[in-house]
This record gives sequence, structure tokens and C-alpha cells, in this order.
Amino acid sequence: MTPTQYSRRAFLRSAGNAARGSCIVLTLPMILTSCERAQEARLGEGEFTTLSAEEAMEFTAIAARIIPTDATPGATEAGVIYFIDKVLGDDREAEHEILRRGLTELQAAAEMRFAVTHFYELQAEQQDRLLTDIEASAFFATIRYLTVAGMFSLPEYGGNRDNIGYQLLGFEDRHVWQSPYGYYDADYADKGA
Amino acid sequence: MAQAPFPTSEPVDFIIIGSGAAGGVVAKELSAAGHSVVVLEQGPHLRAADFKHDEWGYKHNNDLVWGARQGHPQTFRKTENDTAVLVESALGYAHNVGGSSVHFSGNFWRFREVDFIEASLLGPIAGTTFSDWPITYDDLEPYYTKVDWEVGVSGLAGPWDPPRSRGYPCPPMPVKASGVLLERAAKQLGYTPYPAPVAILSQVHNGRPACIHCGFCNGFGCEVDAKSSSMAAMIPLALATGNCELRTLCTAARINTDAAGRANEIVYWEEDGREQSQRANAVVLCANGAETPRLLLLSESSQFPDGLANSSGVVGQNLMFNGASSATGLFDEPVNAFKSVPTTRVMHDFYSLDPSLGFYGGGGIDSRHPSNGLPLGTGLSGSLFGGPNWGSEYKHSLAEEFTHTAAFNGHSTSLPLATNTVTLDPDLRDKWGRAALRCTYKDHPDDIATMRFFLERSLELLDAAGAKQVTSRPITETEGNVHLLGTCRMGNDATTSVVDRNNRSHDVPNLFMVDGSSLVTGGRGQPTMTIMALAFRAADYMIAAAGRNEV
Repeated sequence: MTPTQYSRRAFLRSAGNAARGSCIVLTLPMILTSCERAQEARLGEGEFTTLSAEEAMEFTAIAARIIPTDATPGATEAGVIYFIDKVLGDDREAEHEILRRGLTELQAAAEMRFAVTHFYELQAEQQDRLLTDIEASAFFATIRYLTVAGMFSLPEYGGNRDNIGYQLLGFEDRHVWQSPYGYYDADYADKGA
Repeated sequence: MAQAPFPTSEPVDFIIIGSGAAGGVVAKELSAAGHSVVVLEQGPHLRAADFKHDEWGYKHNNDLVWGARQGHPQTFRKTENDTAVLVESALGYAHNVGGSSVHFSGNFWRFREVDFIEASLLGPIAGTTFSDWPITYDDLEPYYTKVDWEVGVSGLAGPWDPPRSRGYPCPPMPVKASGVLLERAAKQLGYTPYPAPVAILSQVHNGRPACIHCGFCNGFGCEVDAKSSSMAAMIPLALATGNCELRTLCTAARINTDAAGRANEIVYWEEDGREQSQRANAVVLCANGAETPRLLLLSESSQFPDGLANSSGVVGQNLMFNGASSATGLFDEPVNAFKSVPTTRVMHDFYSLDPSLGFYGGGGIDSRHPSNGLPLGTGLSGSLFGGPNWGSEYKHSLAEEFTHTAAFNGHSTSLPLATNTVTLDPDLRDKWGRAALRCTYKDHPDDIATMRFFLERSLELLDAAGAKQVTSRPITETEGNVHLLGTCRMGNDATTSVVDRNNRSHDVPNLFMVDGSSLVTGGRGQPTMTIMALAFRAADYMIAAAGRNEV
């Protein structure tokens, strides 16, 4: 087995962990698409411009624990990893360095605690335990920030695909709204103050 | 007379540095009066069509409010005994034509009679430079009305207003659910809530369209020009006179003076770094409460060794930010505060706190979305009501936090202190090689007590509004703001103030400072309308003085 094939399988396993839940059937094609893209990067022809393929797979796995795929799509389906890849390339070397160092430590913890080389190889429960341990770290703050940002920023930045993030919130990116906007103003129109 | 564009070799009547809330007004007034005007603006001329619902770009990438990544680092320290550290933005403002009036929320509260005479009424406050203004509300009232009508304000006149010579040009915005929650709760507690006055058009006015309620006001540029920024409301009128030339991406380096001590030339950099200069008969500094003192300090010379117009030594001192507090409630039914303008109801029952409380202060409370209606902001602040901030539970708490919440926010006074300052950082330079902005700021204890007072009132109001859960942001010391006030204060005494009652420098007769830096006190948390009113008034004075050949 070549390293490339191994990575591909490992990525699939990681994505499968992330997708464990009721919508796995629904979202697996999307995850496969993400996986294929990560694989393309690995082969040197993909669309990751800042992240290495290993970073892409690891950060995808972490993002999938921060905003998991369950009854509704999560960070994986929203393409958060593409947002991270894009914005880290925009003069954010300091943040990338925090992520690099933190990832090395996280992988060391994965090795020590669970005898695996990569975070993405772990079961979701194991991943959550490792992340809980580092909740207060600059690494976790940075990857959480970028994951949330990738989920809820304009899709043109690479994440929030199909407005998945907006749908999670009940937000519709419209230019025109009309009163009443919510329950209480409709009620006010009926009954007054 | 000559028409714009003007040659740099010939003096223009006025050069204005900064095209924001004040600069836009002054440019329009002076050019409409027939004066030749050059406006230098360090940012680009973005227009309605350039703006997007781009939370990442505007709120997280500093596309409008430049920071270290754009070559404009700042430092912050609490006191002069602390080491100033690099921060993203302690003195925040937008770098574009229209300045921060482009991305503000447009809460246009007039100051009231009391704001101008409060030091006399209450007496001095130890450790502060709390002072009366050299002008009164009556002096400024005609200019508040000019702002209402020329810039464009929507609201409802009533007993809650200070005296006004004319009603609002536009009716108030349609009330939002968040406003209804505040109004009903406030009435239940015996207060007087009223429709929030905002610099956003509720109907067509002065040829500009009405708001379409997209919800992206705070931190964003209006995509239809319904927000009454000076970019939308003033700059087009100035340019249409043919007397005003707007030079964008031009950064002022220093103000030069002649042998008589008059300002006669501005040296600036064009976008490509080429040094340029413009001669002028008078200089109007409208660069905001951070950049105005900075440019004066950078313009030191053998004639003005402590900085231009700084014989008093108070340039950069008395920085005021305004206090802020916020409590959020979770409600049973959809609030959807992310739609339309940020705030539709406000209450000012605590405009002046009872001195028997033992501290000075006052302010207002309005109702908004806890994260400015923003998706990413909501994701970052979740889980607001406790619980994990990542994982499935977090993920599923976000929808309710986004749609079913309202924040009752306090906006309050901050006292002027000589020790709260904008100064030049001796160790850090910006992309042009200028000493970076250094902010030194520590709230007066009364400002903190006032914020706590307003937070308590917000919590009571949320309870009365029927919130099923409440949470509040802890009151902490202020470490930066976008209200940049007081740093070239107005006064009659040239030893304790920088400009006179007409915004003219005490030291340099043809130099005017017109922006938030002139404010003697900071009002109750919404200063931009007063900055614009002062700009209209100062321009009136400049035009009259120029007519008498007294500039």
C-alpha cells in the first residue's frame, strides 16, 4: 500500500467518524467529495493552497468535532476546511504557525494516549477527550475560531457551502425584509403597546 | 474662481484632512459657500455598490477598520506605568470616504442641555478634568436640526426629546420585536421608552432611498445609501459644487507652518508612497479623536516643540470612549433581531443618575441583537446561556440564540481624565514610518459603577419582558472603542483646552480641529450626531470669518 492510498483510507475513516449519526446516508456523498479534494491536494494537484494534505485531513477532523455532523450537516459538509485553507494564505502566517505547533502536540497526545499517528484515525469519543484536554489552548481557540468563521462567513470565502451555516441558524441572507420581523412586533401590530 | 481639481502649488482656501462624519459636513458647507476645498482621505472611496454582507471581511479581516495587517499597528496600556502592547485595534475607525459614519449604527441621540453645563451643576469630580462646555445646547440646537434635515434622521419628536426647533424629516423605523420587548418592559416598570432616532432613512429624503431593512448596519456600509453617512449624504453634494476635490488614498504626514506660525501646507503621501504637498490658506483637521491629536504631535517643529497647537500640553489628553453594558434574554417566540436597523426603541429615564447614588453617570438603554444580528458573531459567542462552546449541543443551541434573543444594552458616560491619552508610540512605526498610535486608558471608577448600574437595569427590564433565561457580559475595564472623544477639547481657557468655542486652535489662527476630539464631555454613548452638529456650526463660523478676512 502506498502512503497515498493509506491517507485516502484514513481520511475516509475520519470522515466516517465525523458523520456517525442519522444523516450519514444523506451526507456521505458530500464527505466523499471533500475526501477526494483532500486526496487531490495530496497528489499535488488539488485545491489546497496553504494547508498540507495532512493538515487538511487533521483540521477537517477537528472541525468535525467542533461543529459535528449529526441530524444536520456540520463543518465537513460546509467545507470549512476550504475556508481555513484560503484565509490562512491571506497574511495569517502567525495563526498558521499556532496551528502547526498545536497539531504536532495534538498528534503526540494521540500517539501517547491511543497509539495512533494521526488525530483523524481516532474514534469521535477519543477525539473529544483529546480536544477537551486542550480547550484552553491557543491552538484550540484558533481552530475553533476558524471553524466557526468557515461555517458562517460568506460562501465566497470557501466555507458555508450551500449556506449550510446560515440554515443552521435560521438565517437567510436577504437584502429586503418587511415588518413584522418576529412574533412580538406582529403581536404589537395587533394589540398595541 | 478656480474649479476642482486644484494644483498643489497654489493655495486652496481650505484643506480638510479626513472625510468622515465631520470632514464630510465641513467639505460640503465650505464648498457650497464657494470656497476652494481639497479633502485628503487616507482610505478609498467605497460606494454603496462596493459593500457586501461580508462579516468576515469587515468584522474579522479589518477590510474597513485597518489594523496591523494593513500596516497600521496600535498599542495599548492601561496606565503610563504599564508597557504598551501591540493590539489589533484600541482606537477603532473605518478607513474610507465617510470614515466611521459609513459603518456605524446611526444612533443619533442629541446631547441635552445638561451635557453642556454638568460640571457647574454637579461640581468638580476629583481626579478628572470634568468641565462645562464653552457653548450651550441652545448654541448647538440649530445645527442639530441641520443634521436632522440635511444628513437625514428618522425619529419621533416628543416629550422624551430635548427642545427642538423642527420635527424629524422622516418618521421612525417600524418597530422590531426587540423594540417591542423593551417598550413593554419599560412601560411596565414606569419608564418612558420611545422610538429610537437613527441616521437611517425610513422614507425617501433628499433624493436618497429608504432603508430596505437588510439588517447589516453595524460594521457594514449601506448597500442602498439609506444610511446617512457623510459618504452618502454630504460628499456627493460637496463634489457637485465643483469647488471640492477629494483626494483618496492620500495620507497626511505633517502640517507645516510659516514664520508667522500659521499653517500653510500639508505634506502627504499618495498611494504609491510619493510625497506630495498642498498649500492652503486654512487647515481643517477632521481626522478623528485619535488621528487628529496624532497629526498635531507629529507636526512638532522648533516653533512648536510639543506638537502643533499644543501650548496647553493637553493635545491627546482627556480621551473618552463611552461606557457600555449588555444583558441578553432568551424568549419563547421568534424575535429575529437580525432583521432591519439595529435598534428601534430606546429609553433615557436614567439620563442623569441621582448624585445620592454616590457616583457620577448617566446614559440610555436600547434593544438589539446580542451579536449585532450576525451569523459568525453568534457562532463565536455561543453558547450564550452556558453549556459547551463546541460540539453537538453547542451547534444546536445556536439557532435559538440567533432568532429568539434580544440584548438590552446600556450606553453611558465616561469622565475625562488627563491620564487617558492618545500619544505617539516611541517604539513602533506604521507602514509610512510614522510613530504608531498608542492608547493609554483606564476607566474612572464612576464609569465602571455607571456601567454596573445600567447592567442591573437591563436585567430588571429583561425580567419584566418575560425572558426565560438571561445572561450578561461581565463589566470589565475598557480596552478600546470606536468613540474617540475629547483629545483636543474645546474651551475658553487656552491653557486647559486646544480649540476655542468655534473649533479654532488657540495657538494657530488658521487651524481648526473639528471632530470627536473637540468634545468636552462624551454625552451618553452616541456622539456622532454631536460631532456632525459641531461640524456644521464650525463651518458656519469659518465661512463668516473668511468673509471678514479673519481666517
